[in-house]
Amino acid sequence: MPSVQALSSTPSDVPQIVPHALLPFLRSQSQNTLTRLYQRPSSCLSILRLLGPLERQLIMNLLWLESAIPVSTMAAWVVPDGKKLYSEALSVLVGLHIVQNSTVKLALNPTLKSSLRQAITGGGTTASFGVPAERDEKRLPVGIDSLDAYALERWETILHYMVSSGQEQLPTKPSQGVLYLLQRSGLMQSTNGSNLQITSAGFQFLLHSPHDQLWSLLLQYLHMAEERQMDLVEVLSFLFMLSTMELGRNHHSCSQEYTADSLSETQKAMLEDLRDYGLIWQRKGSSKYFSPTRLATTLTCHSPPLPTSTTPGTSATTSSTEVALSSTAGPQGFIILETNYRVYAYTNNPLQTAVLNLFVTMKYRFPNLVVGMLTRDSVRRALGNGITADQIISYLVAHAHPQMRKNNPLLPVTVQDQIRLWELERNRLKSAEGFLYKDFASQADYEYVLAYAKQLGVVLWESPAKRSFFGTLEGHANIRGFIERRSGAS
Amino acid sequence: MDSEVDKPSHLSVILDLSPTQWYLSARATNPYPLTIGSFLSQLLAFLNAHIGTKNENTLAVFGAFPGKSVMLYTSTEALVDEPPPLDANSYPPFRMVDTTVTRQILRELDAIEPGDEPPCALVGALTKALCYINRITLPSTSSTNVAEGSTHLPDPRILILSVSPDLSSSYIPIMNAIFSAQKLKVTIDVCKIYGADTVFLQQAAHLTNGSYIYLERRDALLQYLIMSFLPPPLVRKVLTVPRQDKIDFRAACFCHKNIVDVGFVCSVCLSIFCQPVPVCSTCRTKFPIKALQRLKSACPSPAPAPPRPLANLNNAVPRTTEATNHSTPGLR
Repeated sequence: MPSVQALSSTPSDVPQIVPHALLPFLRSQSQNTLTRLYQRPSSCLSILRLLGPLERQLIMNLLWLESAIPVSTMAAWVVPDGKKLYSEALSVLVGLHIVQNSTVKLALNPTLKSSLRQAITGGGTTASFGVPAERDEKRLPVGIDSLDAYALERWETILHYMVSSGQEQLPTKPSQGVLYLLQRSGLMQSTNGSNLQITSAGFQFLLHSPHDQLWSLLLQYLHMAEERQMDLVEVLSFLFMLSTMELGRNHHSCSQEYTADSLSETQKAMLEDLRDYGLIWQRKGSSKYFSPTRLATTLTCHSPPLPTSTTPGTSATTSSTEVALSSTAGPQGFIILETNYRVYAYTNNPLQTAVLNLFVTMKYRFPNLVVGMLTRDSVRRALGNGITADQIISYLVAHAHPQMRKNNPLLPVTVQDQIRLWELERNRLKSAEGFLYKDFASQADYEYVLAYAKQLGVVLWESPAKRSFFGTLEGHANIRGFIERRSGAS
Repeated sequence: MDSEVDKPSHLSVILDLSPTQWYLSARATNPYPLTIGSFLSQLLAFLNAHIGTKNENTLAVFGAFPGKSVMLYTSTEALVDEPPPLDANSYPPFRMVDTTVTRQILRELDAIEPGDEPPCALVGALTKALCYINRITLPSTSSTNVAEGSTHLPDPRILILSVSPDLSSSYIPIMNAIFSAQKLKVTIDVCKIYGADTVFLQQAAHLTNGSYIYLERRDALLQYLIMSFLPPPLVRKVLTVPRQDKIDFRAACFCHKNIVDVGFVCSVCLSIFCQPVPVCSTCRTKFPIKALQRLKSACPSPAPAPPRPLANLNNAVPRTTEATNHSTPGLR
């Protein structure tokens, strides 16, 4: 008897860039929470950056006005074609309580207005941009390079742990807090109590851009903060403060340290969590100072040049010239895909190799190059893990080698189509639970019962030659009753 | 609005810093006196707003001083040796811009020697801005990823904040700058803060699809700047910016650098002259003596049908005598 496999629907609630993943979360907060958040200039500035270009312009237009202006005056600036975009932008702003909800006059939230003005003109005593630490001869500053390497190592540890969770050899485990977060966010789950296994949402997560990955984890962290009775405003304003901090001074090329003294208790507790994610560097756990890494300072950029996707792995076993060559050749991407389904990936990064291994059959491995094939089996394996064809294609596009970018279209059409066809192939079979009716005594019996079943609309499949048909589970009671009545009568 | 159109943009600001004109602008007899100090503080708020709205936005500031043009600030490289110390109450990039710009301006103004003031090097600043834009857009186009170059190009814009009157000798260099700007797809916006309308800058804004604004309420400078010059070209498709409806298209002659209502154009190289000449000074073309005589006799009044070698400028370029700018809706 065929049975239905519980297909978990794969909701793609992993955030897209537009609108920013954080905005729906902010909108779900109460006006009181948001107004408290808007008290800090750095938060206002960061939220401004997360919004779309039109929303930003509207805020700026209203920012320096002392009094509210009539709605019609503002609408006079909108071109006829832009009416829809304009009203959408306004409703976003009203939803975030940035613009006060009124049908007559437009005005900014007074708290936000004074904070944002303060952010732009400077001054005030909120210390919302972080208190820098005094430079001390005893504490030698770390270079930005090593800070980047640190952030990269932390972040890739998390991803690498996820990608190789299904295999025997386990890489270094991230900290307990990270593991809990991964489990909470549904990216990993423990099947038989002990080992965490990556879920299909987790596989999809691996193919996202680092920026999206970071924000979806942080979003989960925010949800968790609510449950841990942490003050959400403090958590958010600390994140926003980090995003406005200075990575390092231009010409020193060493990191900027900030003092943790002025932080609240909640924020001090956050230091440890964020250190695990690689957003913060601290000399030691009890240190009074911290430095934000590039992961933290690029939080509010839309397309950040995160080191994760570009720099080759820190475990450079190859000669330095080769590493330099491969990194200069492909700061944007490293994958070449040919029409014969061959994939050449110029990387020595174990994480990138492992991610590719999700949907590519690896053939050869060289110091700076991995060669593989996109095969039906490898793609079907990926599809079985819950990865979609579109995700594979967009990953290949995002990481395409600069040489590939000369091509138009970027990826060979045949390969793209074939990946999509392989996905469709999986949708050929539909399973449904039900009963097979066969071994009818005569053709007439068969047709009589079949006609009845068709009346009920429960027939899924029929074969007159084999004198059998298949009906759904719901129809079974009726059909059995019908057959019994008939055989009882005859 | 989706993220594809949310591209970073580049803004080059050119400040006209003529001491004489700023002194005149600050006189209390003006309807809205504006001192250079209050101008700079409003300008800095505008610059901060530009770099604050998006992390990838870039900025360059050029100053046109008497007889000298200087790059005051650029976000791609540090111009001052000592960056300002970090302050817990201000965003580091903002502080960087503010201190660098003010420090550089003060240094240049202090260096000005007393005596006759040469005209402001607006053209020099404009040319430097164009060269800078060319340089920052070039690496992405010349590298291996050709297709990517066009997508990563920031929308470059130039904003000229002008207080000086037109300098007729700069007609040719300004026109050349406009053509380069058109080729680089740079929008030139102009804000006339003090003094009469300038013909050349009106044309610059018109030809590069920018907006020219004559500042009527000078106490509202910041609001003008934010509403008209902050939006990048893509936002301008939804929120309009004021455009001038009348443009003064008059040109300056090549011989005496006068702005002319009626001029004479060489039929070979299109050079403009205020009176008929026997030989074109640019391309050395000799014109027939007969035509010359006829033109000379018709000179005071516009010639109805000019002969072949020389053409009446009126036919070549539309001409308006008085320029008025579009009033800005919605401003206080």
